[in-house]
Amino acid sequence: MTTTIAEREVALIDLVDRLLGGGVVIAGDITLAVADVDLVYVGLRALVTSVATAEEKNMLPRMGSAL
Amino acid sequence: MIAVYAIADHPGPPLPGRVDGLRVVPAHRLAAICGDVEEREVSPNALWRHEEVVEALMEQRDLLPVRYGTRLRDEAHVVAAVAERHDALLAALDRVRGATELSLRVAAPPEAPTTGGAVQRIHEHLAAQARSSTLLDAHESADLLRAAYLVDRAGGEAFTAAVADQQRDNPELRLLCTGPWPPYSFAAA
Repeated sequence: MTTTIAEREVALIDLVDRLLGGGVVIAGDITLAVADVDLVYVGLRALVTSVATAEEKNMLPRMGSAL
Repeated sequence: MIAVYAIADHPGPPLPGRVDGLRVVPAHRLAAICGDVEEREVSPNALWRHEEVVEALMEQRDLLPVRYGTRLRDEAHVVAAVAERHDALLAALDRVRGATELSLRVAAPPEAPTTGGAVQRIHEHLAAQARSSTLLDAHESADLLRAAYLVDRAGGEAFTAAVADQQRDNPELRLLCTGPWPPYSFAAA
């Protein structure tokens, strides 16, 4: 979807929201338990903070996508 | 074990040649597009690798993305899982047919005045231009809004132009639009 590393870091939040929170659920095992998903968000927090810092410094485009 | 990436029409176009190991598991009018089981680790690279497969599939077909990490024992279990909810899955596929998902996050500097009304107006304005819209959990972030919009494939540019207009009209806010995504937020069957 995106091309640069900076854009990917910005879009990673959106990716996690979609892959771990969206998508149709069918029968079978989902390897990630809900508790695991929460851990993923916690793990992302440091990255989210660094991205927010980058945004404040205007290092990233406001519309950070390949649209 | 088999990983399931997406549910799509059957029969469908050929699988993208640049992705190894994909296979189609038909169940009546639908097919599950499956692959080898991915690593259990949840890393950004693993998530992007999964996303690249789904996006490659979506270049040539409409699909329902399946929840990340879904795995089944063998093809017979995949067929049973799809057949069990065949009509609901087909109806869900019909709802996203010809569309992609666009993401919007809205944030404001901590010292900004209350902007709830402006955020709501932005969302309503964009939702009016989308086939469907939904609000997402902000997961304790500082985001004022996380939303997803289901937009016709041909309507992406018009939608992002509308986002740019909203950004111009609301300079105190930061609007971040990404996409096009597979319709993860509209895939519930």
